[in-house]
Amino acid sequence: MRKYAALVIFVALCGLKIPVAFAQDTTLTIRAIEGLKYDVPRFVVRPGTRINLTLDNYDDMSHNLVVTLPGGRLRVVNTAIGLGADAAKLNYVPRTPDVVAHTAIVEPGKSEKISFRLDQEGIYTYVCTYPGHGFVMYGAIYVTRKPATVPALEKDPNVSANRRDDLAGHVGHQPNHPYELKYPAIYRTFMPDSGPASIAVGLTPTQAYCWDAGACRLRYAWTGGFVDLTDHWDGNGKKPSHVIGDVYFRDRGGFPIRFGTADRLPEVHFKGYQLFNRYPEFRYLVNGIEVREIIKPLPTGRGLVRYFSLGPVAGPVYFVCKSGDGVKYRPSVGKIQDGVVRLPVGTKKFTITMIAE
Amino acid sequence: MKTYRTIRNSCQTPLNPLKGTFKSGINAVQVPFRGFRGVWLLLTFFYSSIVAKPLFPADTITDYYEVETIQMPKGLTAETDGMAIMPDGRIVAGFHRGEIMIYNPKTKTWKLFAEGIHDPLGILAVSNSEILVMQRPELTRIKDTNGDGVADEYLTVTDDFGLSGNYHEFAFGPIRDKKGNLFIALNCASSGAGIFPEVRGKLDTLGRPGRMYSAVPYRGWIMKLTATAARTDGKLHPYASGFRSPNSIGFDANGNLFAADNQGDWLGTSKLYHVQEGRHYGHPASLLWKDGFPHVTPSKLPVKLLDSLRTVESVAFPHSRIANSPTQPVLDDTGGKFGPFSGKMLVGEMDHPYLIRLMLETVDGHIQGACAPFLAGVGLRKGNNRLAFAADGSLWLGQTDHGWAGDRGIQHVRWKGKTPLELADMKLTPTGFVLTFTQPLDAATAKQLTNYQFQRYYYEYHEAYGSKQFDVKPVPVTNAELSADGRTVTLKLAELKAGYIYELELGKLRSRTQQSLLNHLICYTLNRLQRNTQANP
Repeated sequence: MRKYAALVIFVALCGLKIPVAFAQDTTLTIRAIEGLKYDVPRFVVRPGTRINLTLDNYDDMSHNLVVTLPGGRLRVVNTAIGLGADAAKLNYVPRTPDVVAHTAIVEPGKSEKISFRLDQEGIYTYVCTYPGHGFVMYGAIYVTRKPATVPALEKDPNVSANRRDDLAGHVGHQPNHPYELKYPAIYRTFMPDSGPASIAVGLTPTQAYCWDAGACRLRYAWTGGFVDLTDHWDGNGKKPSHVIGDVYFRDRGGFPIRFGTADRLPEVHFKGYQLFNRYPEFRYLVNGIEVREIIKPLPTGRGLVRYFSLGPVAGPVYFVCKSGDGVKYRPSVGKIQDGVVRLPVGTKKFTITMIAE
Repeated sequence: MKTYRTIRNSCQTPLNPLKGTFKSGINAVQVPFRGFRGVWLLLTFFYSSIVAKPLFPADTITDYYEVETIQMPKGLTAETDGMAIMPDGRIVAGFHRGEIMIYNPKTKTWKLFAEGIHDPLGILAVSNSEILVMQRPELTRIKDTNGDGVADEYLTVTDDFGLSGNYHEFAFGPIRDKKGNLFIALNCASSGAGIFPEVRGKLDTLGRPGRMYSAVPYRGWIMKLTATAARTDGKLHPYASGFRSPNSIGFDANGNLFAADNQGDWLGTSKLYHVQEGRHYGHPASLLWKDGFPHVTPSKLPVKLLDSLRTVESVAFPHSRIANSPTQPVLDDTGGKFGPFSGKMLVGEMDHPYLIRLMLETVDGHIQGACAPFLAGVGLRKGNNRLAFAADGSLWLGQTDHGWAGDRGIQHVRWKGKTPLELADMKLTPTGFVLTFTQPLDAATAKQLTNYQFQRYYYEYHEAYGSKQFDVKPVPVTNAELSADGRTVTLKLAELKAGYIYELELGKLRSRTQQSLLNHLICYTLNRLQRNTQANP
C-alpha cells in the first residue's frame, strides 16, 4: 500500500503526460505471503517503464509470478492448469502471447528477480499460475499516464478479493457466525499467555476468562470485551486470538488443588465439560480424583466465583491462592494461611470467590 | 474469485433462475462484492446453456452424475473441516470457526449443534444425538443429553498427544474399525511458524529442525485408540510413523487402513499409504518418538538409511497431473448406487475440481495400483476435503481452502443411473496391464496401439520440497488384445520396471454404443512386479 502510494505520488509529480522516452526504471519487491496472496495488491507505472521486480517467497509453499496482458489472467491460469505432464518443467507458465514476463517456481524462502518493460497503457496482471492459485492470488499493474483515474483500492475490481478484504480492514462487515453469539460463549482456540489447548469463555460480552485444558486450570481473566479471533481464523491460522479488554487476574500459583501436601503438584487430566445454562462445568482428574469446576461472574464488580466439587478424597485437600495475581481470594470454607486454604476434611463442595484488587 | 464461485454455484441450481436463485446462489457463499456483473453472467449462462444444448453430443459426465450445491447458512464461513452422515440421514459438518451444524436434506435446513470447537477436522457420527469430533487439542465426544437438539456435553475421549501451538499441527480422523478401535492421524508442525512458549506434552528440541517438524510426542504418527469393553475410551497407542500431513485416513472394503499424505519435504509427490502397525512411511520427523530409536534429529540421518526404514506408498499421485493435495480416502460401499465403481475407493483433492478414483490390487503381497481423475467437468468445486456416502448411495462433499487453494461449502453428487464409459480396473500382468472397462469397447479403436500411450518415471525420496520426475521414458505398447465380451483389453508393454509410475494416456476409445471415454489419464504405481515376470518380457 505504501509502495503504491509512493509510486502514485512519484508519477503524479511527474505530470499526467509523460513522453515515453522519459520513463524511468522502477524497482520493487513483491512478497508471496500466507493465504495465497502477494503483499503488494497493485502498483502504477507510466508507459515505457522498465520494471525490475523481485518475487520474494515468504509463504510455506511454492509460487511463481506471471505478468499477463490486460484481460489475459484467466486465460493464462486455465491454460496453465491444462499443461499436463510438462507443467512443472514449464514452471506452470504456458507459452502464450498473454504472458509478458514470468519468474520460475520460487520455493519458500527463495526469491527471483525479473525485468520487463510495459509500453502500452492498460491494466496488466501479475498472477501465480501454480495450479489452483491463480483464481485468488493476483494483483494489478496500472500502466497509465493518468494515475488519478485509478479507482480506490477497496473498489478496484482488478485487485484480488482476498487483498481488498484485508486492506478494507476487518471492520466487522461480515458476521463471525451464522448466528449472534450468545453468552456465556466458548471458543477452543490459541490464546496468548496460556497453553496451546486453551478455552476462552465469555461470561458476558464484557467479562471473560481463559481456561487451559492442558494444565486444567484458570489462567487469566479480563473485563471490557471477549476475544478477537480474526487473526487466528485468517489464512492457515498461524496467529493466536487476542484478548479484548483488560486482564485483571493472571494465575501465578500453578495448579491450585493439592492433595496430601500443599507443595506437591498433582498429575492432571482434562475430561471435558458439560454445559449448564451455557456455563461450562469443567471436569478433570487430579491424581485420579474427579474435580468439577464451574466459573461464574462476580455479581457485583470485577471478579469470579469458582464452584468446585470433589470426588471422594482421603487425606487433606489444599487450595493455593497466592497473593500478587491481581485478586483477593474469599474461600467458602477454611481460612487462607500463607497463601493456602486447607479445606475441612470431607469437603465435597466449596467456592472460591476472586475479587479484582 | 468470489464472483466466479457465485456463478458456478448458481449454475448448479437448475430450477427457475429468476425465482430466488440469484439470492440463494449469492447468499450461499457470502460474496463480499456482489455487483451486477455476476447476475449478468448468470443470465448469459442460462441463455447459452438452453440454446447450445442440442448442439453438443449427449455424452459428458453430466449425463451420468449430477451435482447439487448446498445452500449454506447465511453468515457461515463455510470452510468445511469435518463431515459425516448421521444414522437418520442428516449431514453433520464442522467448520473452521468452530460451529458444528446439522443439515436436514429433506427440509434443506441447517441447525446449530455445537459451538466453539478448534478446527473440527474429523467427525464420526455415533448416533443421532452424539458425535466424535477430532479437534486440534483432543478427540471429543459431543452429545445432546437432554434431547433439545443442541449439544451440552463435550467429553474428552483422548488428548494423550502433544500440542506445540504450531498452526500446522492438525489432527485427522477418527475412523473406527470393525472391532471398535479408533484411529486418528497427527500432522507435523510447519517451519512456517514456531511453537508456543508453553506446550502440551514433552518438548524435545531435537525435533525442531526441518521444514515439517515433530517437537512434541507423536506428531507425524497415526494413533490407535483401543476399544474397551464398554466404550472406545481406552488408551492411545502409537500405531505407525512417517507422516507429514496425513489428511486423511480411511478403510478399504477389506478393512485395510489407508492414509493420504501431501507433497513436500520427503514427499516427492503426494501419496496414499497402506498403513500397517509398527511401520514407518518416510517422513523422518516422527521417528524421534519411536520407541528405541536413537535420540537424534532423524532428518539428519543419511538418506540411504532413512530410505531403508520406510514402507513405500501404495499409490503415488503425480504432482499437479493428478493431485496437489489429496484428502480423505473413502470406500464406495453403495453396492452400485453410485455407479459402476462400487467396492473401490475415492480420494478427495484440494487443488482440482474433481475427485480421484483408485484401482488397487495386491501384487506380490503388497497393495499397489492406479489412480485417475473422477467427475471432472461435472460441476464440482475445488477443495474437496471430506467425502461421505449417504445410505441412498449419494456422495456428500465438504469443501475448504483454509488459506490454501480450494473452495468453501458442501456439494452433493448423485449418480443418474446410466453407466459411463470409463476404465473400471487396471491390473498388472507379467507382461503388461489388463484394462477392464465399464462398457464393451468398439473393437476397431480398442485394438489400435496408439490409443495406449505409456510413459514411466519416478519421484525421488529426498529432504527438499517435492521432486521432479526422474528417468522419464515412453514405454511402447507392443500388443493390445480385446476380450470377446469387449470389456477387457490386455496390453503388452515393451518393458516393465519396478519402482516407477506408469502413466497411461488413453486415446479416443468408444463403446460399442458410441459412448466416448470420459477420463483418459491413469497413473499406475508399479512398486512390485508379478513374481513370474521375466526380466525382458
